[in-house]
Amino acid sequence: MILTGKTLLSAIRPPHPYGTEFVQQFMFVLRLCWFPLLVSTVAICYGAPGLQAGNALVIFGALDRLGGFFVLASIREIGPNVTAIVVAGVGGTAITADLGARKIREELDALQVLGVDPVKNLVVPRFLALMIITGLFNIFAVMFGLFGGMLATITFDAPLGPFFATLLSNASTTDLWGSVLKTTLFGAIIAIVSCYKGMTASGGAEGVGRAVNQGVVIEFLAIFSFNYVFTQTLLATHPEISVIK
Amino acid sequence: MMGASWLEVPRDLLHSLGDIAKFCWRVLVEVLEGRTIKFFGETLRQAGILIIGSGLVIWGLAFILGLSICGVEAAYFNRSIGAPAYAGWFGAWCDLREAMPYAFGYMMSAKVGTGLVAEIGAMRINEEIDALDVMGISSLTFLCSTRLLAAWVVLPFMYVIAVGVGFFATYLAIVQQIGEVSAGGYSLIFWMFQNPPDLFFSTIKGMAMATVIVLVGCYYGYTASGGPVGVGTATAKSMVLNTVLVHILGMLGTQIFWGTNPRAPIGG
Repeated sequence: MILTGKTLLSAIRPPHPYGTEFVQQFMFVLRLCWFPLLVSTVAICYGAPGLQAGNALVIFGALDRLGGFFVLASIREIGPNVTAIVVAGVGGTAITADLGARKIREELDALQVLGVDPVKNLVVPRFLALMIITGLFNIFAVMFGLFGGMLATITFDAPLGPFFATLLSNASTTDLWGSVLKTTLFGAIIAIVSCYKGMTASGGAEGVGRAVNQGVVIEFLAIFSFNYVFTQTLLATHPEISVIK
Repeated sequence: MMGASWLEVPRDLLHSLGDIAKFCWRVLVEVLEGRTIKFFGETLRQAGILIIGSGLVIWGLAFILGLSICGVEAAYFNRSIGAPAYAGWFGAWCDLREAMPYAFGYMMSAKVGTGLVAEIGAMRINEEIDALDVMGISSLTFLCSTRLLAAWVVLPFMYVIAVGVGFFATYLAIVQQIGEVSAGGYSLIFWMFQNPPDLFFSTIKGMAMATVIVLVGCYYGYTASGGPVGVGTATAKSMVLNTVLVHILGMLGTQIFWGTNPRAPIGG
């Protein structure tokens, strides 16, 4: 919590020396996460909402409604959650391991001695990079989630036209904005927890591993708790988005 | 790791897949040949650690997922299609068939998988594993096979409890919090839309994930190298592989067990 405040403050307050580091971290997470995220979203969206919900809709003889269901499934829930899981599991752990290694090798202490603020130069760029990239990855995840939905539709031998028709008539800008906002905040949670755990790692060989372990557990619990509150609020304050058109 | 190229993750996965398969095969054979009997005490100790160390977090995640995705979304989705009384259907399928295996897989890979890497990796770095080998104890059997057996002994029960916790959370969200249906109406639909084979298949799904996660964790821990930093990197890498595998297994499970055959009490 204290780290969050400090990070926000030093992100705003000049000077801003973290430009290059920001770009580096951004590309780093991007390179690391794109493949796991692609596989994960296609797999989960094909299986969970695609096949299972498709089954239910086949009973009602309304498979064309699958597109409408994917607004709920892919855009509102699974896209953001899988993005957060993958970014936490892949990017977050890498950041914790990286910072933890620096802490163990006493590089962080060296930085402080040199008068370089580790929060401003290490945490802030990671915080900003993860926030932005998680939000952007969400769009990526939603796209590939829809691809999984298309695969499921084809599995049921149904045409794709109705899928897109109900998808587009049910999707709203509020859904997309809510989803992007949600993942951006997920990114902030992931960045803060991983940086904190990495920077406080201690205790030799087991220490860094332990830090990664604890970090990812805390991130998962925090992400889903936050998701519960956010979904709740979004659905209750915007009743129009849950009306099927 | 900093100058990673675009294809590093897939290339890495492919590269280590053969090694991992070989390693897993050896661990499995040791368990199936009954060589872990010698270390039964260690197996029980590991089982105890699993229950005490990981039980609460796994059930915690199951509870939250049951609340948010299966509970709140179920209530609002069924209201939107004009069948709020059928919220139990969404809850039953979502909890049992999809969300609980995933919740279990996520938390297993986060808590148990990375924990194993950190623990066994530290032993490797501190040369404790070499010490075991020198003393004539098969380190693979003692460290990895016992843990796999312990997981098989304990996790089915923990999984079923997690499903129960998820059911309870969904009930809380739909009936108590949002008040979409009455408790009786909810239970009727909820129990109508599931049957014992569903629970059995769902447990198989969860257990397949658990087995893979324990094996991957043991592999990355057992082959860790490069000092304290190496342990951290190995932990992070195991998480990458686990995330991908959990999703793929979840999809395969759905495809194999349910496919396009819903087995619901209506329609046909």
